Amino acid sequence: MMVNKKQIKELLSESACSHNEQKKSSCDKPKPGATSGGCAFEGAQIALFPFADAVHLVHAPSTCLGSSWETRATPSSYEGENNTYLGYSTNITAHDVIFGGNKKLEDSIEYIIEHKNPKAIFVYETCVSAMIGDDMDNIASRMERKYGIPIVVVHAPGFVGGKNLGSRLAGEVVLDKLIGTREPTQIHPFGINLIGEYNVTGDMWQYTPILEKIGIKVVSTLAGDGRIESIQMAHRAKLNVIVCAKSLVTLCRKMEERFGIPYVSVSFYGKRDTSNAIRSIVNAFNNEELSKRAEAVIAEEEEILEKKLIPYKKILKSKKAILNTGGNKSWSIASALQDIGIEVVATSIAKATLEDIEIAKQYVPILIKSPANEQAKLIDEHNIDILLAGGRSLYTAIKKKIAFVDVNQEKKVSYGAYGGLENLAKDVCAAVQNPVFSVVGTSAPWECSHA
Amino acid sequence: MLKPLEKNPLKLSQPMGALLAFLGVKNCMPLMHGAQGCASFSKVFFTRHFNDPIAIQTTAVNDITAVIDGGDYSISEAVKNITAKVTPELIGLFTTGLTETKGDDIKGVASVLQPEHDIVYVHTPDFEGGLESGYAKSVGAMIEQLVKSQEHIEQKITLIPHVSMTPLEVESLKEQIELFGWDVFALPDISESLDGHLGKKQGALSSNGISVSQIQELGSSYAVITIGNSVYGCGEKLCSKNKKMQHLHFDIIGGLRASDTFYNSLMSLSNVSYPHPSVIRWRKRLQDALLDTHFILGGCQIVLACEPDLMVILSSILTEAGGKIKAAVSPTKSSALDNIPSKNIIIGDLGDAEEFLDEHTLFITNFHGERLAHKYHSALLTRGFPNYETLGNQLKDDTLYEGSAKLLFEAANCVETHMHH
Repeated sequence: MMVNKKQIKELLSESACSHNEQKKSSCDKPKPGATSGGCAFEGAQIALFPFADAVHLVHAPSTCLGSSWETRATPSSYEGENNTYLGYSTNITAHDVIFGGNKKLEDSIEYIIEHKNPKAIFVYETCVSAMIGDDMDNIASRMERKYGIPIVVVHAPGFVGGKNLGSRLAGEVVLDKLIGTREPTQIHPFGINLIGEYNVTGDMWQYTPILEKIGIKVVSTLAGDGRIESIQMAHRAKLNVIVCAKSLVTLCRKMEERFGIPYVSVSFYGKRDTSNAIRSIVNAFNNEELSKRAEAVIAEEEEILEKKLIPYKKILKSKKAILNTGGNKSWSIASALQDIGIEVVATSIAKATLEDIEIAKQYVPILIKSPANEQAKLIDEHNIDILLAGGRSLYTAIKKKIAFVDVNQEKKVSYGAYGGLENLAKDVCAAVQNPVFSVVGTSAPWECSHA
Repeated sequence: MLKPLEKNPLKLSQPMGALLAFLGVKNCMPLMHGAQGCASFSKVFFTRHFNDPIAIQTTAVNDITAVIDGGDYSISEAVKNITAKVTPELIGLFTTGLTETKGDDIKGVASVLQPEHDIVYVHTPDFEGGLESGYAKSVGAMIEQLVKSQEHIEQKITLIPHVSMTPLEVESLKEQIELFGWDVFALPDISESLDGHLGKKQGALSSNGISVSQIQELGSSYAVITIGNSVYGCGEKLCSKNKKMQHLHFDIIGGLRASDTFYNSLMSLSNVSYPHPSVIRWRKRLQDALLDTHFILGGCQIVLACEPDLMVILSSILTEAGGKIKAAVSPTKSSALDNIPSKNIIIGDLGDAEEFLDEHTLFITNFHGERLAHKYHSALLTRGFPNYETLGNQLKDDTLYEGSAKLLFEAANCVETHMHH
């Protein structure tokens, strides 16, 4: 199945997305000269690369993978060779553009099977391989029959749209080619799939032990610490849990239609949201005993956390912050900051969807529409202590001599769930207590101090 | 069976090289003509390497314009949208695999837009060449399309560094040439734009570098100095703008003998018999560094995997202290590689470099080498793009007497620490 207009149109007008009730769509075509953000291929890569037991083969010239492999910290507990961090590319050359890359692709797949013996191979179509018209589906299905492992072609070339669409297309192909192709030996009564959880910095491992303690079983994940065999059995889970990612809502809606699996959407950032997430999952099962166990575990975990947070809360008490980031982070991080005792005065909604804006309203009093213009003014007006934003706002913080936390930088530690909240508290405290911002802001001996 | 695919790529693309070239021009907007991902990937890549904002925009070719647009629409729309917000002194327009596969006429589009905007255009498909060629093509395009032909010469020198030179290397090289009494202009000059300085700019355009008006006047240079095999042709192009201009080319400026050659040429060009005293002091320090480190580096098995122009410099420095190049893996072909004394010169990827690693090896490559060095218990020294793991990449300097001495110590310490753990 090639990527086609009809499918893209359907994905972009997903009925389960709240913004599609109105005219304005955040899934519009990118504007030349005024676009940032990754392409559909990157979105597919983000969604599927965490499958550590599958090889990910990118059918592309050198930019696509050369610039992007081993960039996301998505750890896996897989005991075989972890393919998440490896880069396989067909390295399309001018010769292939002229004569076609079919042979190269076929040879590459055979090489991988011979040398790596993976559980599956994902083959990614990119702009150039789409333009030269290689018959990827044909090769893949032939190889699949020959070797007996799933060889899944992901049709998400960069030019079809942004990251979000790419993740959706990846979800579609997983649904069409993998989910439902294997049957489990037994079906767990409280089995769930974690959808859109990529286990960045091990976020997922902060809460999966808690879920297990309550009696919930993670059947499969898309795709953090994921396994091919598990996702093939995902249709036997009882509930889909979408973690902080809108892009895979279509997949969940279709799984509901096809397999009767309901879904809930949750966030595991901060104490309140983590507890609420656990409750949403448990409530979906409508089992009294399970709910009771969940409440007991939540109470226990919250108590442990609160004890750990005491020293940090002393430092952060009455500190005021402004948050300037995008998407669901505009409210999920705000909520986490509130949980460690920080007053979040304002959050930016410049890069948030309508749905995110609605949620953000419930957490934060001031919503910033144009951070470049409003940020500095708000810092003065409200005596802000901390600016949490991307690197571009660093100078604003230095000029105002307030603490700065780069929220868009690749995280090294997890901020997820109860355990991660302590990491966040630690990092924010370190920033607040660090003299570096005022030291850097000192004027040079040759600059007029009253200027 | 010969490996039909790339495993753990070392190769970086032509458009990424073009981006770096344009980032060394002041108030420039590099404009990548392709799908949005090409620009986004490259932006993130260099942002993480340099820890600084990277200016770039994209023509955001989509499924419709990929087929029916000849480039005119997406490029002119992009220029319109960019100039609505900022005023670049130069727009550096370069192509990608996608737009070269469809065969866009960027020269035609540029000529339509040029009356109103300063645009340099260059063809850099990522299914050909690599980082070095994309960079060299872009520097060449700037020379051809911006530099005016001249007949008189001035007391100034144009320096053309190769793509792997760090901002500090460009700066120190400029300073070394200035010591001989010249005004020096680097094309491009990333020493002021990607050097990691705290600035007020929000990074929409490149923050500093050589200005367009300075580039236009490079034709009056007394000489052009090119560093690195990949930019030799750029020097020739600049010389064609002025018959009187001399071209001094160096494949290598690392190690004692290559640095001697460099200063020797500079002395005769400047007609002086002694360099600045600091040069003399650093030569003596390098002599001492060679002797201090030869116990450790002598016979040390080294595996190199990086861009050719960088690799020959590292090889030159380390072999002078007795290091043995067990294998040299380059992402692309280059005649510079002839300078490396090794039986295993390979055009390939990190999957190829892996074959040569063991616990007695010093592995010099980008940060992707970490996992491999760990797996084979090799010592690792990170050089080249990308390096997301260690900070301060922009301030590394491995050139001439001073840089060579410091690299020798760093390499020897790296090997020594490794052996004791």
